[in-house]
Amino acid sequence: MRTKAFLFLTFLLFNTVSCNQNAKEKSNRLYIIATTNIVADAVKQIVGERAEVISLMGAGVDPHLYKVSQGDIQKLSEADIIVSNGLHLEGRMNEVFDRLQNKTIIKLSDGAEPDKLLQINQQNYDPHFWFDVMIWKSAIIYLSKQLMSIDTANAEFYQNNTKQYITKLDILHHWINEQYSKVVPQKRILITAHDAFSYYGKAYQLEVLSLQGISTLSDFGLNDIDRLTHTITSRKVKSIFVETSISSKTIESIVENCNRKNHLVSIGGSLYSDALGTSDSETGTYIGMLKYNTQTIAQAIK
Amino acid sequence: MQPLYIIILGSLIASCCALLGCFLLLRKMTMLGDAIAHAVLPGIVISYIVSGERDHTAMLIGATVAGLLTTFSIEFLSKKIKLQQDAATGVMFTGFFAIGVILISLFANKIDLDQDCVLYGEIGYLGLYNDAFIPIEIWRMLIILGLIITFIVLGYRQLLMTTFDLAFASSVGIMGALWQYLLMGFVSLTTVASFESVGSILVVSFLIIPPAAAYLITHSLQRMLIYACLIGIIGAISGYYLAVFLDSAIAAAMSVACGVELILIFIYVKLWKERVLSKAVY
Repeated sequence: MRTKAFLFLTFLLFNTVSCNQNAKEKSNRLYIIATTNIVADAVKQIVGERAEVISLMGAGVDPHLYKVSQGDIQKLSEADIIVSNGLHLEGRMNEVFDRLQNKTIIKLSDGAEPDKLLQINQQNYDPHFWFDVMIWKSAIIYLSKQLMSIDTANAEFYQNNTKQYITKLDILHHWINEQYSKVVPQKRILITAHDAFSYYGKAYQLEVLSLQGISTLSDFGLNDIDRLTHTITSRKVKSIFVETSISSKTIESIVENCNRKNHLVSIGGSLYSDALGTSDSETGTYIGMLKYNTQTIAQAIK
Repeated sequence: MQPLYIIILGSLIASCCALLGCFLLLRKMTMLGDAIAHAVLPGIVISYIVSGERDHTAMLIGATVAGLLTTFSIEFLSKKIKLQQDAATGVMFTGFFAIGVILISLFANKIDLDQDCVLYGEIGYLGLYNDAFIPIEIWRMLIILGLIITFIVLGYRQLLMTTFDLAFASSVGIMGALWQYLLMGFVSLTTVASFESVGSILVVSFLIIPPAAAYLITHSLQRMLIYACLIGIIGAISGYYLAVFLDSAIAAAMSVACGVELILIFIYVKLWKERVLSKAVY
């Protein structure tokens, strides 16, 4: 019995070693893995069809709750370059990346100017910096420089793409400001479920209030509900917002609470925060997502 | 891709947990692993408040201290205040977890801080480290396994007696409380270290399922320890292939594999026993 079990175990172990041999055929295109689909979009805008870009987290995934599968590990181990958002958005995944010596890791947060990042305390920053188009722009420039130094053959192509894309980002930034210029300052208030929109609020002069902290685990307190209800009723806020990657229950409870106090507030729409929409939809790109969010907010709070 | 590292670490953790799990099962306190998984939260938050960063060494120390405190206070409640063991476990881990949640909303609500993102590891990432050095997770579990085996070998008689007959053990001069605290200490050390490398679900299931399955097929403690280890290791290996086959999370697949083993063993025992019975009739 014991020897049989031992033989069985050794057989299984040998199996695992032999599985290791069949390596993937490599094409000469770069194989780039991005953590979230927002990051993947940034990479795609630069490399176009000249490299294969895959996003680990799909549409509507909350990066705080993401678990890797066996296939994801396979992809990561085959990747030539791994691009992540950084600033703890991916949890412990970035720690893992730091330990991989044989891979090129690009953290977009390294491209953002440190003084523009919102500090939470000495060592920690708010990771949702893509909501300020100007910070995202500097991250894109950084990313493109890194990619050009790795893939020198396509460097010129990447540079052209980056130039064009940056112009689009400038236009987008301008467009967003224009949308809000029609809203009176008093009404420029954005209320959401979790704290993802601080950069957006700072960049486009919106006051941002949220029910939950950044972590999706930290529960809201009774005071938070009271405080928000009070703000909504006293400032006559018309609409508050839910997010696609987070349950809408909490926000619905606020709406109910306010309606009970005879102040009519409605859900102004569902915003994209930590993930883009599906790739075939309009919100499947960074620009499309920001446009959608801006339109939704601007129309609802007017 | 180094599936070998994943399987080795899975097997090491399976052995550590299965060995300790046997004693927990016999002492009717298997939910301790799950309790520790929740109770480490305040440790994490406090070490974040003290150190100001989410460095994982600091988190590991905080979690270990919280884990030890939880197990010791469970022991204290059940021994000194004569609360039932399961009730004591329930009281302490919900209490610790709740303190952690309150601390987060007081001091750290602007930051992403919970077990999942700062403490729990993912066994799959081991597959990425294909450098020449064996990853630190494997060394750490190897040392812990060595400690556990030494502890069980040296204290086998004492552990056996305090597990089955505490009154008799104390009458022959064995300090029941001391051994209980030592065992609890090992459990919290092992679980926290394993959480750090593979996450909670795998640890909790390795603590319970292999010992439970081994308990079905033997009534000797020695054999139960060996069988539980083997069942755990087979679960880790077949779970890995299940994950490859299904393209799923590895830790979850390993837990499922252990569960399947338990069911197979249960069916085997049922059929075998029935055959013995039917033979006895004739």
